[in-house]
Amino acid sequence: MSVINVSAGNEAVLVLADAVANANVATGAVTGLIVPQMQDITINNSTGIFRFKTLDNTAESAVTTPATNQISLNAVVDATSFFGAGNSPAADKLIEDGLFGASKAKTRVYFQVAFDGRDSGSKIFTGSGFISGLAPTVNMDSPVWITPVTIEVDGDFTESAVA
Amino acid sequence: MRSQLLTQIITNVANSNISVSQELPWNSGGQVLYLKNKKHFYLDEEQESREDFIKTLDKNDVEQKTITLNGYLTVDAKNQPGDISSVVANIIAANSVITTTIDNSVEVTTEIDNDDITYTFEYNFITII
Repeated sequence: MSVINVSAGNEAVLVLADAVANANVATGAVTGLIVPQMQDITINNSTGIFRFKTLDNTAESAVTTPATNQISLNAVVDATSFFGAGNSPAADKLIEDGLFGASKAKTRVYFQVAFDGRDSGSKIFTGSGFISGLAPTVNMDSPVWITPVTIEVDGDFTESAVA
Repeated sequence: MRSQLLTQIITNVANSNISVSQELPWNSGGQVLYLKNKKHFYLDEEQESREDFIKTLDKNDVEQKTITLNGYLTVDAKNQPGDISSVVANIIAANSVITTTIDNSVEVTTEIDNDDITYTFEYNFITII
């Protein structure tokens, strides 16, 4: 048994970029946007199920349909990562435009999610999709801007490990 | 923050029956100054505490900083100054001079010992860092 925990300094990391080569947890913020100050992250791989009944069976039958894949998280709004760092010097579009810019422009984002930090051996999921569900909110009981972020994954997750 | 608050309290209670001391409420001859020097307001040193406000996975936690200052004023309980109510209100109102906070509160408590009444003002200033 090998428990993956984030208390040993090897936190969950999400890297976003506009090119598959840039979405690399090993190179991190140099090539892509590491989403900072995440409170939580959820990777959703929900296999679709179609159920049907037949007259000769006493229970429903089921067949699988394509999975809905999604990454959702909540993060403290960091001005640079949310609104972008601008294009001087030119960098990955996610760094330039930030989460909001990429969502607004409907930019395809390539991602890597590392389960156990950026060091060699950490399990990673790779894929691409679109940013959705930004809803920054603040109130006097929680006077720091926080936003949910959803990445609607186009296609499947690919599992690997940091080299 | 203490000097800013103290300056505002001095302004707010000018022309009243109360004086404001710049000194900390230290002990003199085994007795704290605000008990020894009645009708003198003393403001203690800042106390600071920090705690996690939002925990994050990358350990860049958002912290809440609370600065607490206690002020003391002792007067004769039987013959309180005629303007004590407005003095207390003005000492409380001085907290509005600190503006960079998300929460700014004052609590006043009183304690009677023999023929003295001591007003204790607890100022709390909360900021996010």
